[in-house]
Parts: sequence; C-alpha cells; structure tokens
Amino acid sequence: MTVIRVYDPAMCCETGVCGPVVDPELTRVANALFLLEQKSIDVKRYNLGNEPQAFVDETLIQKLLEEKGVDALPAVIVNGTVVKTGEYPTNKELAEWTGVREDELQPEKKEKDDLTLF
Amino acid sequence: MFTNFTLPEFSRTPFIFFTGKGGVGKTSTASATAVALADEGKKVLLVSTDPASNLEDVFGIGVSLKPVRVPEVEGLFMINIDPEAAASDYRESVVGPYRDKLPEPVVTQMEEQLSGACTVEIAAFNEFASLLTKKEVIDSFDHIIFDTAPTGHTLRLLQLPAAWSGFLEESTHGASCLGPLSGLGEKKALYESTVQALSDREKTILILVTRPDESAIWEAERTARELNDIGLSNQRLLVNGLFESGSDDRVANAFYDKQKAALASIGSLFKDILVLKLPYITYPLTGVSALRSFLKGEQKLNSDGGSQDETRSLPGLARLIGDLRHKSSGVVMTMGKGGVGKTTMASAIALGLVKEGKKVHLTTTDPAAHLDQVMKEEGISDQLSISTIDPVKEVEKYRAEVIAESAGQLDEKGLAYLKEDLESPCTEEIAVFRAFADVVERADREFVVIDTAPTGHTLLLLDASSSYNKEVERSTGEVPRAVRQLLPRLRNKEETLVAVVTLPEATPVLEASRMQDDLKRAGIMPAWWIVNQSMAATDTKDPLLSVRAKHEWKWIERAAGENENTVVLPWFTEKMTGAKALMNMYRNEVR
Repeated sequence: MTVIRVYDPAMCCETGVCGPVVDPELTRVANALFLLEQKSIDVKRYNLGNEPQAFVDETLIQKLLEEKGVDALPAVIVNGTVVKTGEYPTNKELAEWTGVREDELQPEKKEKDDLTLF
Repeated sequence: MFTNFTLPEFSRTPFIFFTGKGGVGKTSTASATAVALADEGKKVLLVSTDPASNLEDVFGIGVSLKPVRVPEVEGLFMINIDPEAAASDYRESVVGPYRDKLPEPVVTQMEEQLSGACTVEIAAFNEFASLLTKKEVIDSFDHIIFDTAPTGHTLRLLQLPAAWSGFLEESTHGASCLGPLSGLGEKKALYESTVQALSDREKTILILVTRPDESAIWEAERTARELNDIGLSNQRLLVNGLFESGSDDRVANAFYDKQKAALASIGSLFKDILVLKLPYITYPLTGVSALRSFLKGEQKLNSDGGSQDETRSLPGLARLIGDLRHKSSGVVMTMGKGGVGKTTMASAIALGLVKEGKKVHLTTTDPAAHLDQVMKEEGISDQLSISTIDPVKEVEKYRAEVIAESAGQLDEKGLAYLKEDLESPCTEEIAVFRAFADVVERADREFVVIDTAPTGHTLLLLDASSSYNKEVERSTGEVPRAVRQLLPRLRNKEETLVAVVTLPEATPVLEASRMQDDLKRAGIMPAWWIVNQSMAATDTKDPLLSVRAKHEWKWIERAAGENENTVVLPWFTEKMTGAKALMNMYRNEVR
C-alpha cells in the first residue's frame, strides 16, 4: 500500500484553477492523483495557504523549507521518503511509485458521440 | 402620493438594512434612523459594511471593527466592517502562529495567497454573519442597523450565504475558497442561520433608498426583486430628497420637473411596497443635530447662512477634452462613487473625443450602469464603438474556456472536480479582470473610455490587478499579453488618464479624496477631478437651491485643493439620456 503526501505551494484553491491562468500541469496532477485515490492509494495533498500545520508537523518538509524556501514546493513524500521537490511528479513517476499502469492515469478517451446516421 | 417618514415603520424588527445605489443617502438615512431610535430610548448598533464607509464623516468620530459609543447620543454605538481590515485581521489569525515556525519566504507566500478578493469577501461576511447570529450582540441591542455598501457589493455580500450554503452542501472535496476556514460544519450552520435571520419578516426589514431619479429608481427596483428572490421580502421604499418647491426659477422648475418625471414610474414598479419620503434639504448632513432635523422634515436650518458668496469661475469639460487633443490613443477612466455621474461623464468625454476626430471605444464594467440608457442612439459615427463588461457573462465565458483547455486531460470525474473549483467566488474577480485587460489593450490603436464600478469595487479591482500581476509572474501557464501589460499601462501617466468624479457635497468630496489616496498608493495619480451636478455653476435664484449652491463652494474649493486640474460642471436642466442631450451638454460646455 503506497502512501503519497503532496505538499503544494500556497494556492487559492486545491487545484490552483483560481489563478489568473490555468496551468495544465496542475490539472494533470490533480486528475492523476484523483485517479490514484479511486484505486485506493493513500493520497493526501496539503496546501501551504490552507494547512500550514501539516508543513510544520512533517520534519522532512520543515528541513526542506529551511534549506530551499518555497522553491522546494511542491514536494512529494512517498512512504516516508522525499522523492521530488520543486516540481510535480510525471505520470510515469506516479506509475512507478504505485505500481498502477501509466495509461490508467490518463483520462479515458471519451467515446465519440454516436451520430453516424449514414 | 407617498407616506411621510415615520419611525414606527422601522421599530418592529431588530435588524434594519438600508440599501440602494451609491449616493442616494444610505448613510444619512441609516444614521438619522439610528439617532432617532436611540432618542426613543432604544439601544442601537449602527453597522457599516461599505469598504468606502463614511460614517466617520457623518459623526465626526473614528469608527473601528469594535463597537464605539457615540458620545452625543445615549444608547447609540457604531461599528465598521471594513472588508479590507477584516481580511487583514483574518490573515494575521491564520499566518501569525506560523511566523516563528516556518521560514520567512514561506510565510510571505502564505500571506500573499490570503490577499485575494476571496479572503476579503469571506472575512467581511464572517464579521457580518457573526453580528447577525451572535447571541451576546443581539441581546445587547434592540436594533442593529446596517448602512450597506453600494448595491453591487451589497448583493454579493447578501447572496453569499445562499450561494455558499449550496456550495458547502454539494462540496465533497472541501470548498476551495473556504479551505482556509477550518471547521466548515460550524460555518455552515452560521451561514444558514444568517440566511434565516435575513428572510424572517419578524427579524429583518429592508429599506430600499432611492433618489427621485430614474437610474436610482431602476436600481432600487432591481435590488428589490433580487433580494426578494433571496428571501428578504419585508421591504419599504424610501424616496430621499423630494423637492417640493414652487417658484418661477428656471433651474428650480427643471429640477422639479425632472424629479416628477422620474417618479412617474414608481407606482407601477413598486406595487406592493409602502413608499416613504424625505424632503430635499439645504444643509449638509454632518453632526447629530443636523440628523435630528432631517428626520423631522426640516428643509432649512436657521443657521443656514451658507458659506462665502463666491463666484470664482473654474474650467469645465472643455479643458479636459483640450488636454487630450494632442493624443491619438490612451485609456481614460472615470472613477468615483455610484451616483456621481461616472457614466454620463465617460459618455461625454467619449463624445468630446469623437468630435475632435478621434477613434473611441466606450465601455462599462459597472453592472449598475445603464449605459444603453445614456446612449440610446448608438453609432453617432463610425468613430465610436460601445461595449459592456457584464460580470455574469464573463464568468460563464471564463469557465467555459478553462474547461475547454483542460477537457483533454480529464475524465468525467476529474471534470466534475474542476467545475466545482470553478464555482468559487474568486472566479468572478478573475473573469471580469481579464475582460477589462482585453478592452484596455485596444488603447494601442484608439482611445478607450471606461466607466468604472462604484468605489469599493473599483478598489478591489485595482487591488486584484496588482496581486494578479504578481500571480502572473509566478504562474507557469500561458499568460495573455493583455494581462501582462495591464498594470504598467495603468500606471503610465502618458497612457492612462483617470478622472475622479464627485459632487459638491461633504461626503462625496471626502470619499473622492480617500479614493485618490488609494489610487496614489497603487501608483496612479488622477489627472483631473470633475465636480459634477453643481447648483453653484447654474444661475438659480430659487430660495432652497441657492442656499444649497452657497454650501457647495466650500467643497468645490476643497476639491480644487486636492487636485489642481479640477473642473466644475453645472447641474443640467436637460434629462441626460440619449446622444442628443449629450450633444447639447457638449455644445454648452465645450462649444
């Protein structure tokens, strides 16, 4: 059972879509983590703006912030080890860490509307 | 035709709300009512929720987030819910405990995130909700009177509980914007009981304040309908400033006729609402004794000598158009409180520029502005184009765009999650702002004249623009060019000219002055002040109006002291709708 903890920089919203510009990277990550959750992987995200206490409680993150400041964020901890800092994990990395197939982290291609009448 | 203003109408419910377009006299009527109820031996709390509150001007004492006793009136207390101040208190309560636990840059980032419009909105509403539901507050006062913000803001504030109750119920991930507020369950109960208190006829009465002028009456009607839909059905209409003088003075007659024409529609617009009236008065409503006379219906005071009988002449609109003559493009913004005539001024400036042979685009971001009413006859020439920024439409557009951009990345569930995040109140600020940036970009090629929303909203918008720019610098997504260039452009005196519009009265001038200070802090120095609707600039000999005109000089002087490029416009006898009226005004003013 993989335990993933993602520490986000302060964002207005969990997904960061409130910003002036939508960052497709954030959307991808939000979606991939969401799909992992569906597969009963233990995923939690903490946003600096909303839950600073989580950043204080996790000594690994405390240490990172002391060293690199906010540039350390986002940071990812998998099973108690810091595996990524300063950027979000790729779907490939998420797949490696969890054993879930990478193509399962992509949204299902929507079926074409069946409008072929001729 | 209308009922005289009497206290019994107001003294049955613990909560009394005054609402209406900016400049109709919400603060004066709310303050006068508060004094009158206190004089009857009631314990009264007067609350302002206006970001540009002027309770301090009316009572001449400082108001804060904690109740302050009014020394001259037994039993009267005042409090000011300044959303900005409430937000910074709130920010400190969140960030404060971490100052020594997390490195400084980390704390700075937290603070920046909590500086958005969302936070201001939440903080203000929290204050508001807790006043309405806190037992110890309710138990300590017989009445809590709210002098509410300009209509757009008021509606937002009052719609929040309804919107958010729904939001919280449907939210499965914890609502984004409410994230910072821990204990959502507890908040939910608070918001729900706030909504309940507001829609309880035994607890709440809503006074729709209006002036005898068409746009204020429409505004009141729209507000009445919207608030009725939210459940605030216990309503009264208060017509403030009814002029009932008969004289053979040209200006006085035009003044009377204009009012009468505007009031003609009241009967059909407000069928089931009791209409109350207060007279047109010659004295400024500052100080407790003036407030007492006002509710008694006294039109003049014995001390009414007026100020200096001055007839110094000041430049008019021609001067302002002249300043722009040598330019071929740029942004011109009219700013000021609602009701001072920003829309008319923006239209007049646009017209003046067109007459000078310039290419002009005129736009408004104020949902309360009836631009089409002022410009009934569109397309004066192919030199002028007109548009409106409608917040509702902009939000729709923005949401659709975001969803389209992300749809390829998301499945059904992910899309639902994204849509939910887009339901947050932040979205509106951002959407409107982007639209604003797009319009301003046209100023590369032509003049863009913008009629902005009332004060509080305008400040939030500009405020949003600076934090917005910081956000843009940090963002990794695709940044529209229009947005990147916006704030530097607004700060460039060569490219952007701001006209602060005000009236020759105490509160509008004081507010305009505060507004100018705020703009200066944002790095923008207004190019002109326009003192609009001046009786002193007319030739009236009417006994009431000429006393009023004398009182104006003090404030015209004050305006000129605030900004050396102050122009004064007379009160126009003609109805200011349609291109023809604007043309006549232009001919009289600019020739």
